[in-house]
Parts: sequence; structure tokens; C-alpha cells
Amino acid sequence: MTKNIEALVKQLKDQSYKKYRTKTTSEPILYPVDVFGFHIGNNEKKHSLGGNVIPSYKRIISKGFDEIRREIEFSISKATEQSKIEYGKKMLEKMVECIRICDEYREKVKSNSRLYNALQRVPHKSATTFFEACLFMKICIYFLRTANTEHICLGRFDQYMYPYFINDKNRGVSDEELFETLEAFFVSLNYDGDLYPGIQLGDNGQSMVLGGFDECGNSMYNQLTDMCMDASLELNLIDPKINLRVGKNTPKEVYIKATKLTKQGLGFPQYCNDDVVVPGLIKLGYDAKDAVDYGVAACWEYIPSGCGADIPNMSVMNFPLVVNKVITEKLCNCDSFATFMGCVEKAIAKECDRIVESCCDFQHPEQPLLSMFTDGCIETLTDMWRGAKYKNYGCHGTGIANATDALTAVKQCIFDKKTVSVSQLLEALENNFEGFSDLRSSLRNCSKMGNNDEIADDIATQIMACFSKNMNNKPNGNGGIWRAGTGSAMEYILSAAKCPATADGRKAFEPYSSSFSPSLDVKASGLLSIIQSFTKYDMTEIINGGPLTLEIHDSVLKNDIGIEKTAMLVKLFIDMGGHQLQLNSINRERLLDAQKHPEKHPNLIVRVWGWSGYFNELDKEYQNHIIRRCEYLN
Amino acid sequence: MQGLIFSIEEFSVYDGPGIRTTVFLKGCPLRCSWCHNPEGQSYNKEIVRSPNGCINCNNCINVADIVDGKTVFTDDGIKNCPMGLLRYSGENISSEQLCEKLLKNQNMLQSGGVTFSGGEPLAQSDFLLDCLTKLKGKIHTAIQTSGYCDTQTFKKVVGMADYFLFDLKLADDRLHRKYTGVSNAVILNNFSFLASSGREFVVRIPLIPTVTDSDENICGIVNLLKQSGVNYVELLPYNQMAGAKYKMLCREYRPDFDERVAVKVPERILRKNNVAFKIL
Ligand code: SF4
Repeated sequence: MTKNIEALVKQLKDQSYKKYRTKTTSEPILYPVDVFGFHIGNNEKKHSLGGNVIPSYKRIISKGFDEIRREIEFSISKATEQSKIEYGKKMLEKMVECIRICDEYREKVKSNSRLYNALQRVPHKSATTFFEACLFMKICIYFLRTANTEHICLGRFDQYMYPYFINDKNRGVSDEELFETLEAFFVSLNYDGDLYPGIQLGDNGQSMVLGGFDECGNSMYNQLTDMCMDASLELNLIDPKINLRVGKNTPKEVYIKATKLTKQGLGFPQYCNDDVVVPGLIKLGYDAKDAVDYGVAACWEYIPSGCGADIPNMSVMNFPLVVNKVITEKLCNCDSFATFMGCVEKAIAKECDRIVESCCDFQHPEQPLLSMFTDGCIETLTDMWRGAKYKNYGCHGTGIANATDALTAVKQCIFDKKTVSVSQLLEALENNFEGFSDLRSSLRNCSKMGNNDEIADDIATQIMACFSKNMNNKPNGNGGIWRAGTGSAMEYILSAAKCPATADGRKAFEPYSSSFSPSLDVKASGLLSIIQSFTKYDMTEIINGGPLTLEIHDSVLKNDIGIEKTAMLVKLFIDMGGHQLQLNSINRERLLDAQKHPEKHPNLIVRVWGWSGYFNELDKEYQNHIIRRCEYLN
Repeated sequence: MQGLIFSIEEFSVYDGPGIRTTVFLKGCPLRCSWCHNPEGQSYNKEIVRSPNGCINCNNCINVADIVDGKTVFTDDGIKNCPMGLLRYSGENISSEQLCEKLLKNQNMLQSGGVTFSGGEPLAQSDFLLDCLTKLKGKIHTAIQTSGYCDTQTFKKVVGMADYFLFDLKLADDRLHRKYTGVSNAVILNNFSFLASSGREFVVRIPLIPTVTDSDENICGIVNLLKQSGVNYVELLPYNQMAGAKYKMLCREYRPDFDERVAVKVPERILRKNNVAFKIL
């Protein structure tokens, strides 16, 4: 790390920069140690008007604001509809304001000659160098954020920035210099995190999507991709969050480098499988060229780059709640498990209809700035939420594992072994298992999703298939369609807080597993079985996004052997058709939580010394030891 | 045929090449002073208690048996623990069931395979051989062993398994007896057989402070390696977590060496003798 970058990181970590913000500043500010500037000067948190899209940085940076402004003026001059002219004027006004702010800012930062010189060109004109392109990005991000958007993603940075990168290289700029510019840009993304309108610190959508394959299957992993990985490794900061697009032809070395990143314990990269995502998006009606250019919204929702106004987290299918309702209302009338599953499928279908119905007249507030950043909106002078090429809605499928386990327990306890009667089950659920501990343990002893068990996995496949069939491609009333997914976002807490005790033995209001993962209290057979279970369904059918989350103790990653094998495991997951993977190296916080709430972490395996054990089964003093051991990692 | 196992661990990264599942067989003839896996010692099922979440209600203790002055948990303890902390360690399983279970992940074990560990897997040699026969040609098999078993049996296993992780602890027989409870004569015999058999294997040395990490012992082991033409070892440095599992069995961990002494990694001796090594 160079001295300059060290200074930037230091200023970030000691938070000394925050004192330069005020309540009244409406202009961007430059910090004492800075490279690109354009930090938010106003220390008040903004409310959010929505976002969750990938702007067309590629188009903006390659055109420049002057050109964008001319395009808007041209469209206005051609327009006949008054409403379009009005909207065009809003765009124009916004663009003129952005240009003015940049000009004023330039004059204020004269002392920083590099920045000053670059601002002579961008954002008026297109970027020519990598430095200008990064600065232009920073300018775009500044304006988008101050326009009250949220979760504005960085998209395929290594692709749209590559022309500037390679141009510099051809001009003789050294790799070292390019790397320093890149690192400075990465560090700058970590400033102002506290001003973000998101729920949790770090939940800011600054996701970057790297690598992947083009329409002909050629790898898009380039030198800039590699530098992004290296910068992330070296900086060890939470932004940008790295999403790595991989596929069956991704070489092992890429997985190994990515696993080294996992070792940092920040919870990324997250892996996206091109072999599943691209065909999945095409099935949902995306053009092939847009499908191969996919990225992720804030967390993991798959969206197109630059041309979409999809709302991938429009609604939630609360699977366990749906299953619970069928159990309480219909189970007593079912003479076989097949009949009962028929009722469950009907209920899922009905819930899909209800969700579609309830969202059909959703209105997003107008966003003229973000619309200029969305392909096609300037030509038609329409707001993106109506004018973008893709306006699809996503529905998370939350609690899939809990619902599956509940259904499996019904099958095994009520129908197969007949160890529990319907009335007993209903009474136990109603009483949140108070006084029914034996019954609860028989429910918990049934087959579970995540153990590579056919019974449970078939049930999971059945409910997911039903969800896909009844949700995918349904018109959303906004010129788009619906997409089913496996994500939960915050819903594994929020939806779960609405759900009483469930037949898998889960107590009322306890959280579900997050996204697409085994239920929390399931002692799974191991990582291989989990991967087997979570790759059985054809994931192209349920591609709104939502990762399988696996925890790996950082001690597994302590040397090359563990890193290489973890990389091989990820490759297996991808080759087996998994759609998305979030691999966590266990960190101290989680261990501390496991110490307080062992029941929440039954699968937490720690490598102790040439052997492994369940964290829960270690003595407190040994647990403390492990916690101490990983303290220096944080 | 039935065997007794106490754990199956998927994706065990340090138990042989590639992605593997390790099966832990219960029972061991050695009593290494540094043993970290006391569950693996007894040939019988035992009830173990996870210490975390315990509310000290003593329900388990009140119904426990006292055998030779030691607390032994009972089935009633499992039933009575309000926190569900007691469980059986040790599961009787047939070789058919076990192999079926292992082969369910065959598609994921192509780069690696299955490792039998313990305890001492050779202590249940009939069961082990039965499993190896059933897995032959389907999946790569490895044996993690102390090498302590009669030579006839050892030869049979070498004939069946694909790979060995062979522990060499102490070169000196007197010390070997002192710290592990058994002589190393048969171990060294088996080792030279393995080395001349053409089977793939790796030698592992547990580095126990003041016991196995002494220059003398390392030189002794290096001599053994040289005699067998071995030029690579894996080192397992002692970690103070070794005693973590004893309390689960109501046992005390009392190693007869000072575990606070730092482990010496014998880099110099190994380098000088051209023995490559990796620290696990
Ligand atoms: S019964 Fe359970 S909670 Fe009570 S003392 Fe024993 S282990 Fe602890």
C-alpha cells in the first residue's frame, strides 16, 4: 500500500474527516487528505426515494454531462406532449445544476492540481483516462446520493472502466499508478457510509460485479478485474462489496484468489453463477445481451445494467406462514400427504395471486436524475419507473427451509409414522410448544433440508416449483412481469416476526434462516450435504436472487491447503448448478453470539488443532481462546 | 458387519488430498498424553455432555452412575436435561449403511474421497476392511493411523486402501511407551512395510512441546524417514485447545508435559536433511 493510500485509510478510520461536515453545507466537500473529493458535506441523513438499480455509468462517462444536456435539449425540441416537455425540463434543470456545482467545486479545489486539471475535462466531457473515469464515477455517485436515491449499485465496474484502464496502459501508465488510483477510489467509497439512508451500516448497495462471461462464453475476467480483487484484499474495507461472476469455465486460480478474500472475514466475494443466471433471466424475457450484462442490486438481486428499473424486492412470499395456515385450516381434512400437499400448492398459488394483486398500482416517486442515468429515458423523456426497458418486480421466497422442514415433519410424524395426531400438532403449535417438548423433539428429529435427504429435498423442490410456476412471468401491471426468488433480505427476521410456531419445531417469532439456507437449529451433516440439497432444484426457475449462505471457520482458511480446498468446494457448488453463494469466514462477533446463544449456531464448526469440533461443544475457556485467537483478524 | 463410529465430518480439509469426508472410528489402543479426542479412546458408546448452555440444574448428575469414582451419565440424564445437552457419542453402523451414506456424496468427492480416522481405525480392522472392500473402485480411500496394529492386518489394509496418513510420534521406544502407553516396535515395522509397499502416504509428526519437538526426537524421526526414502512430512503443532473435549466426558485433561511451553518447529533439522514440510 502506498503512503497516499495509507493516509486516506487512516483518515477514514480515525473519522477525523467528519468534523468538516456541517448541517448547512449543500455543496460537495474536499477533505485534507483526498484524491477525488466529492464527499457529502451535509451531515444529515436523507430520506430515500428508492433505487436498487445499476445506472448506465458506461454511457454517462463515455459521453459527459454536456452531451447528456444536449440530448435532453434535443428531445425537448422534438417532443409534442406537454407532460414530456415538462419532465424533460426537470431533467434539464437537474443536469444544469450538476454542471454548475461541478464548475464551482473545481474553482474551490485549485490547490489540488491533479483534481483541478481533471475537472477541466470531466464531467463536461467524456473521461479519457482511468483517473478521470474514477473521478467521473465519484461525481455520479455524489449526485445520485444527494438526489435521495438508495442502493445505487456499482455494476460491472471492471467492464465499463476497462477502456480507460487499457487506454492508460497503452499510453505507458504503470500498473502501480493505476492500482493506486483504483485503491483511492475504493477507499473513497467507504467515506460517508453513516449518511446512507439504509437500515444498517454497510447496507448501502455499493456492490460491484466482477468477471463473468460474454454471449459467446468468453471470459470477461481481465486485468482490471484482477486488480479490483487485489485492491479489496489489500484494503480490507467493507466497500465496495465484491460479487464475482463465475461459471463452469472459471479457472481454479480465480477461485483461489477469491477465497483469500473470503478469508478476510468480510463476507465477500459473493459468487454468481453465469451458467444459471443468464439462462434464467432469458427465460424471464430479458434479451440475451442484457442478460449477459447482469449485475446485482444492493445485496444479491439479479438486475440488468443501465437499462432497468426492476424492483426486485417488491414483495415477499412468507412460506412458513402459508404452510402454517394450511396446517391449521386443512390438515384435519386430509387423508394423505399428497392431498395435503395439494392444499399447500393451492395456498401458494393463491398467495402469489394476492401478492400480484396488491402491488399492481404501486407508484415510485419521480427521479429525473436517476432516469437520465437509465438508458432510453432521455429519448422518450419519461421517468425510469415507466420508461425503462425492464420494469419487472421480484418476490422473495423467504423461509424456504423452515417451510420445507415443517412439511417434512407433517409427512413423517402425521402420515408416515403416525406418531403425532393432527389435533396434538395443532394444540402444540397454538401453545408455542409449551408443555409439548416431546412432540417438539419428534418434529425436530425429522428429515431436514440441507442433509441431502430425498424426502425433504423433494418437498423443497415441490414448493419452489409451485412458487416459480405461479409467480414467474405474471404481468405486474407496470409493463413488466414478476420474478420468483430465494432471497430474504431482512425478511428472515421481519416475516418471521409475524409467524407463530411452525411444525418444524421453530418457536413463535423466531427468525428463519437467511435467504436460501438450512434452518437455524438444524444440525446439518456438513457442507457437502448442504450443497447437495441446495443445488437440486433447477435454479434458473427462481432467479430473482438469494444466496445459499455457508459459514467456514477462518481456521479452515489458515493455509494454502484449506484455501485451495475451499476454492474447490465453491467450484463444485457452481458446477453443480448452484445459483449464488455467500461464504463467510466465521468471525469474532459471530463466535461471541454463539457463546451467548449456542442454540442459534449448532453448525458452527471450529478447527482447533489438527481437528475440528462444534463450537458449542467446547468449554467456555476454549471458546474464549478461539475468540481471542481471531481477535487480531478483526 | 457392524462398526462403532463417533463422527462423520464432511469437507475435512486436513485429512488427505482433495475434498474429503472423514469417518471417525471409536476406540484406540494408545493413550497419548496429548490426545485431543478422548471420545475416540473407548471402544464403547458413551454419553457426553456439551458444556454450553448448561444451567447447572444437576439433573444429569443426580441420575448419573458412579463407576470407579468416576461420573458416568445415564439415559435418564439425556431425558432429564432441560437444555438437551447430553447425547450419545458412538453410533453402531453397518458397513452397508456407512458406505451408502458416504457414496451419497460421491459426485462431490471426485477430487478426494473418504478418510477413515479415529480413534485408531485399524482397531476395528474387520469393519474397516469390509468398508474398504465396498468402496473399492468407487471412491478414493485414505487411512489416518498411528500404525499400531498387528502386521498381518496392516498388510491387508495397505492392500485395500489408496492412501495413508501415518503418524510418527516418538522414535525412542522408551519415550513412546511413556507418552503413548505402547511400544513403537510394531509401528515402525508397519511403517517400513508401508514405505516399501508402493502405496501413497504422508508422514505426520505431532509437535508436542518438550516431548516430540526435541532435537533428539526429530533427528530420530528424520533417520527413520531417510531409511524409508521419505522426504516430506506434515507437522501438527500442539495447541492448547487439546483438552477441550475432556470435560464433556467428565474427565480431566492432565498431560504429563507443560503445555504452556511454546512448540519448537524443527525447521533447521528438516532443512538440513532435505526434508520438505508443511505446517498444518
Ligand atoms: S441436566 Fe443439562 S442443564 Fe442440567 S446440569 Fe446437566 S447438562 Fe446442565
